[in-house]
Amino acid sequence: MIEVKNIIKHYPGFELNCSLKSESGRITGVIGQNGAGKSTLFRIILSLAKAEEGTVVIDGQDIRTMRDQDREKIGTVMADSTFSGYLTIDDVRILLKQFYPTFDEGFFVTKCRESGLNPKAKINDLSTGMKAKLKVLSAISHKADLLVLDEPTAGLDVIARDDVLDLLRDYMEQNPDACILISSHISSDLENLCDDIYMIHNGKIVLHEDTDRLLSDYCMIKADQETFEKMDKQYLLKVKKEPWGYQCLSNERAFYQENYPDTVIEKTGIDELMLLMIKGETV
Amino acid sequence: MRLMISTTSMVPIYEQIINAIRAQIISGELKKGDILPSVRSLSKDLKISALTVKKAYDCLEEEGLAETVHGKGTYITAENSALLEEEQRVEIEKDLEKLITKARQFGFSKEELQELFELVSEDF
Repeated sequence: MIEVKNIIKHYPGFELNCSLKSESGRITGVIGQNGAGKSTLFRIILSLAKAEEGTVVIDGQDIRTMRDQDREKIGTVMADSTFSGYLTIDDVRILLKQFYPTFDEGFFVTKCRESGLNPKAKINDLSTGMKAKLKVLSAISHKADLLVLDEPTAGLDVIARDDVLDLLRDYMEQNPDACILISSHISSDLENLCDDIYMIHNGKIVLHEDTDRLLSDYCMIKADQETFEKMDKQYLLKVKKEPWGYQCLSNERAFYQENYPDTVIEKTGIDELMLLMIKGETV
Repeated sequence: MRLMISTTSMVPIYEQIINAIRAQIISGELKKGDILPSVRSLSKDLKISALTVKKAYDCLEEEGLAETVHGKGTYITAENSALLEEEQRVEIEKDLEKLITKARQFGFSKEELQELFELVSEDF
């Protein structure tokens, strides 16, 4: 369980001000543009940066009072950090064994083999995809209760991304009480992995919704000028003017489908949803 | 378990799961006492949110088709014969509704319709 409460942090020209929560047994996604504040938020959760105000509580414990043993229960992938390129995968295994008393060596070795990671290979010689898999494997090999994963799929092609996400799906199947907090700017990754999703923009949470509801109740309505003017706008979240009329985002798909059967109403992917949340105007 | 869903369909994913499981109970593929995959495991296989699977399982439970034993899993509780009967009943009910609507449109009274029903039934 993790709860972030009213965290505030300033950088020149940027303010992070947000709260979020995830429970045991849940995969929570954080999406947002580059520079939206995802990494800052994750750094604060991991005590790598200090918030000016607010609290972070992990499994009932304030992160400011956490000891090393408590931190061992967290597994993490940071976007731009990796092991030294001169180490081999075997070296990494030995390091992790020293770091974490609960390190599951057998699991790590098996998963490396399954992922095609040669124990003798130097990290410098690994492809981007292989490096990413190694980072995720390092995070999930010590039975962490909480995984904090900042952009674990950044820079990967679709196949490698799917491999990484499958590692996480397996992890949740094996550890149903664990909790994963994961960020990405590729929303489709999170769409079929996460149970709920936070959308962050300019340091603020602009949307929080269960993925289930995002995919079943949210919709994109495409209306020409005339239809739009007559349309009941009470369930429209955002509207964007287009050359052909209006694109509208709603979270009440059934209502519009029933009342405007002749209008184009489509399911939204999270990408389009994010676009409209950020670029659209409030009705 | 053999289960396929379409993510582009307008039918909500949890409903697709319910329909698939119900169909498998009726076809006899799933029997009373069979255990369904865990929520996490099905969510992994179908690449969908665990909450969606949970919603589907909760609905199955509400409909009396399955039962969740805490810490053990979700089991099928419905007999296929019972469900089949129910399904057939619903189908007949729907056809009857159609018939009655038609009779009303034509101006038949309830008694006239009943009389007609008896008459035709005797011929079978």
